[in-house]
Amino acid sequence: MSDFIQYFFNGLVVGCIFAIAAVGISLLYSVLRLVNFAAGDFLTLGAFITYFLSVTLELNFLLSVVVSMIAGMAISWFLELVLWRNLRRNKAGTLALFLVATGVALMLRPIIQFIFGTETRKFNIDILKTYDFLGARIPQTQLLVLIFASASILTIALFIAKARIGKDMRAYANNPGLASVSGINVDRVVLATWLISGALGSLAGVFQGLVQGQFNNAMGESLLLSFFAAVVLGTIGDAYGALAGGLLLGLIMELSQLSIFFGGVPSNYKPVVAFATLVLVLLFKPEGIFGYRARKV
Amino acid sequence: MADNSSNKSLFTVSSLQGGYGDIQILNGVSIDVPEKNIVTIVGPNGAGKSTILKAVYGIAKVTSGSVTLHKDGKDIDVLATKPHNLSKIGVGYVPQIENVFPALSIEENLEVGYVDFANKSLDEVRDEIYQSYPDLKKRHRDRAGTLSGGQRQMLAMARALMSSPRILLLDEPSAGLAPALVDQLFDELVKINQTGVTILMVEQNARRALAISDYGYVLDMGRNRHEGVGSALVDDPEIVGIYLGKK
Repeated sequence: MSDFIQYFFNGLVVGCIFAIAAVGISLLYSVLRLVNFAAGDFLTLGAFITYFLSVTLELNFLLSVVVSMIAGMAISWFLELVLWRNLRRNKAGTLALFLVATGVALMLRPIIQFIFGTETRKFNIDILKTYDFLGARIPQTQLLVLIFASASILTIALFIAKARIGKDMRAYANNPGLASVSGINVDRVVLATWLISGALGSLAGVFQGLVQGQFNNAMGESLLLSFFAAVVLGTIGDAYGALAGGLLLGLIMELSQLSIFFGGVPSNYKPVVAFATLVLVLLFKPEGIFGYRARKV
Repeated sequence: MADNSSNKSLFTVSSLQGGYGDIQILNGVSIDVPEKNIVTIVGPNGAGKSTILKAVYGIAKVTSGSVTLHKDGKDIDVLATKPHNLSKIGVGYVPQIENVFPALSIEENLEVGYVDFANKSLDEVRDEIYQSYPDLKKRHRDRAGTLSGGQRQMLAMARALMSSPRILLLDEPSAGLAPALVDQLFDELVKINQTGVTILMVEQNARRALAISDYGYVLDMGRNRHEGVGSALVDDPEIVGIYLGKK
């Protein structure tokens, strides 16, 4: 029982981080048809900027996180202005955009390495303090990450569901042709999408850095494939699906270590579990868990 | 069809030329839409009927000519207005196909159509729409993708009406509808028109459309061929023979 609680808790923490990263990837795909292969490196960047501000410059930690989110937004918007906008104008296809995104990822990595070095870093936060909960070991940092990450997920979900710009984003993703002739300001939708995904990337990076305790410049890219698995699991391009897919995948990956599953899947096989889940879901429900098909008329 | 013949122009298309890429479809079309009228453009396939509306929204290319909205004593250059701002100046558009957001709920479809320029709040406008379309209200939480063809067409018009337009541009509103629904649709258009909304529509179902229209244009090869009061066009033996087909 205490094992279950332990893995379930870990799964929730990991799942929340997956969800936050996945929803950013999902929004970019649904609005801009962009498979953002650089998403992982935006996590790394967010963690390192926060590290630089809070540890090197000794600024307040929360303030550092906020500034790193703003930096994530600014870099995303900068790339939109100099890169993505022009590619779309030249009618670049999804594959071309994907390859350019891969190029961005390959450039971001050495840039991060050049600026911040290759050493392992950790935030100036006590990661040793733990609570005991029904025999499970709950570290304080993970508990805080879980609280803040769930709050972030609720905020994102509410924003997409209720805010006018959130509705405009979903409308544009669903039918771009109609959106652009029915009063929806497409430029604003694109701007909002980049800002949200930039901010979420940094935020997920900080959360991941906190949960790992220490991180290096390869943190984000090692998680990228799991994020994509979460996006596809929850139906490609469905923002709520990505949130749910992320949570679900995190839980499955952690719970697979319980001894009832083949004596417990070793933790370095977690990505295998993620993709096995993905394959199984796609076999039986190709449109993803939250997929639906519109009635043909 | 009210007696609106003496009304001032609200929307004018003059000598419009253009098309898609290098293919010229419109060879100098001129259309005049008086305020509070229903004006219908008919003509054979490929005559350029829908292209006029697509040109207004920048989907088709315009090489020369102009489109003007005469509103409150001002002449607004429609072709120079960004498509997403057209609903702000009072022009609403219902495309022929894919004219709803299937993954959004019916209520959300209406909400994204709302334009915050009038002195009416979103709730007020939406309640008015629900009063006219009780069927939409009943299913307001359902995804638009679950609606039938006729219901979708209603939602598409309701969405366009959410911006309180002065003029509604309709691209073949009856296309793909069952015959019984076609009558219902044209009745609906007359009702919308009676609330003061001017209508410019393009229709394949020429006879029925002209019957409710104040004025009609017959287009052929991207040019004006005939024009006249709607009912007169339907009775003109030459036009019936060539463009409308036998009864």
